[in-house]
Amino acid sequence: MSPEQASGIKDTVRAFILGSIAIAKLDDDDDLFGSGIVNSLFAVQLMTFIEKAFGIEVGMDDLDMENFKSLNATAAFVLRKNGHSAA
Amino acid sequence: MRRLLTDSQASRHEEFKSFVKLNVEPFAEQWDREQEIPRSVISSLAQRGYLGCSLPADYGGQGSDAVTFGLLNEALGRGSSALTGVLTVQSMVSMALLKWGTAEQKRSWLPPLATGKMIGAFGLTEPGAGSDLQSLTTEFTRTSGGESLLLNGHKKWISCAQFADLFLVFGRLERRPAACLVPRNAPGLGVEPICDLMGFRAAGLAQLHFEDVEVPSENLIGKPGFALSHVAPVGLQYGRISTAWSALGLLRGCFEESIAYAAARRIGGGTVGDLGMIRSLIARMGTDLEAGSLLCHNACRAEDDHLPEAFERTLTAKYFTSKAAVRAASDAVQIRGAAGCHGSSPVSRYYRDAKIMEIIEGTTQVHEDILGKMFVARAGGPGK
Ligand SMILES: Cc1cc2nc3c(=O)[nH]c(=O)nc-3n(C[C@H](O)[C@H](O)[C@H](O)COP(=O)(O)OP(=O)(O)OC[C@H]3O[C@@H](n4cnc5c(N)ncnc54)[C@H](O)[C@@H]3O)c2cc1C
Repeated sequence: MSPEQASGIKDTVRAFILGSIAIAKLDDDDDLFGSGIVNSLFAVQLMTFIEKAFGIEVGMDDLDMENFKSLNATAAFVLRKNGHSAA
Repeated sequence: MRRLLTDSQASRHEEFKSFVKLNVEPFAEQWDREQEIPRSVISSLAQRGYLGCSLPADYGGQGSDAVTFGLLNEALGRGSSALTGVLTVQSMVSMALLKWGTAEQKRSWLPPLATGKMIGAFGLTEPGAGSDLQSLTTEFTRTSGGESLLLNGHKKWISCAQFADLFLVFGRLERRPAACLVPRNAPGLGVEPICDLMGFRAAGLAQLHFEDVEVPSENLIGKPGFALSHVAPVGLQYGRISTAWSALGLLRGCFEESIAYAAARRIGGGTVGDLGMIRSLIARMGTDLEAGSLLCHNACRAEDDHLPEAFERTLTAKYFTSKAAVRAASDAVQIRGAAGCHGSSPVSRYYRDAKIMEIIEGTTQVHEDILGKMFVARAGGPGK
């Protein structure tokens, strides 16, 4: 994956989270679920946003915390779904 | 409402309304009194493909958009909230399965749900876990070889459970939230009808008792850990869409019954509709109807466009229409006086059914809590 692609994805997802949740900042490696930033009410909204923004479909096989635990993990997941192999 | 709809949506709405006028409205009072919907009525919903309205044609559904699904619920809601409840839970089970089922699960279960050969029920609430879903205690344990799950626990207030063939049941597997499909004939599953509800009396509610109920592990839907964050919310989203529109249909019923009565009932030298105070009630009802309709369309357009805002818009629509339905039903009874207090008018049933809509798919207070948090968070405030 190119660093530009990954950083574009992270910025898009970051902007969505910061616009939806009352937190001031979000770093690339912040734990989204463990920290409570993404709770059970927000999880499907975030998933729907990712599906819509990046033209992918999250299915049952993708239900793995490793795919969504941080902005870095989410960017890697989106690129993988779009056919880019991990660098 | 027509200007909000495409020609095809408008014509489907007319079709749904004629079906309800002929097959539902004349009998809804009797079903309510007898606390039972005849199986033949559910079959007639199925024959028209209504129970698979939102499922793709590949699985035997109609592949309708969310607006059309909403219009079906609106039309049914005018006739019978209890019957709409069948469509509500069928869609909750089907849409959760469509999103999170494996290819094999979808091939096995979706066609019978789409055609109504199987009726589904959504087993989430427990005696000790309603709004607070994190308190679920129904336990799933793996048998020694891992091929099966054993279910133990108790579900309460489950719509359609008296006659459902398939239950989507939520519980915990190794302490993680999990969901699985349980056929009605699974040994150890006890179904205990709940009677004498205030409203939704014909919706076939029951308690479910699981005593070492064994199901194959491949009946798990989604992965353990994701049942409350991903599986249930997809079902509940459709449940809220259904209930929001059903409440809108009930509101239309209150409005239509009230204006007809106000225009016809003689009082003093004029009609009830000549009285300013009665006009105030009717004005509010008509305005709520229009506002509710716009909120419901807004929610379904977001759902059809697969926007993340669909969640918030659906909460807003369900919150508004369920509250407006309660107010309208109370006013509709008031406008009729004693005649509104008797089963010969649908408004007395509307009055009882409307209150339920403020409780199912998340109570009014839970909606206020979530929406309030979301709105405050938007300003960067401490709403987390
Ligand atoms: C007719 C009918 C059909 C139903 N069908 C189904 C079904 O098919 N499947 C299913 O799983 N369940 C079903 N239910 C159950 C329904 O979903 C629950 O009743 C609902 O979630 C509320 O839970 P509860 O009744 O335990 O109330 P509780 O959660 O105990 O709430 C009690 C009170 O506390 C308030 N409250 C709770 N949490 C908060 C909060 N965070 N902030 C402010 N106030 C709060 C509530 O608004 C309420 O006023 C049905 C219920 C009815 C009446």
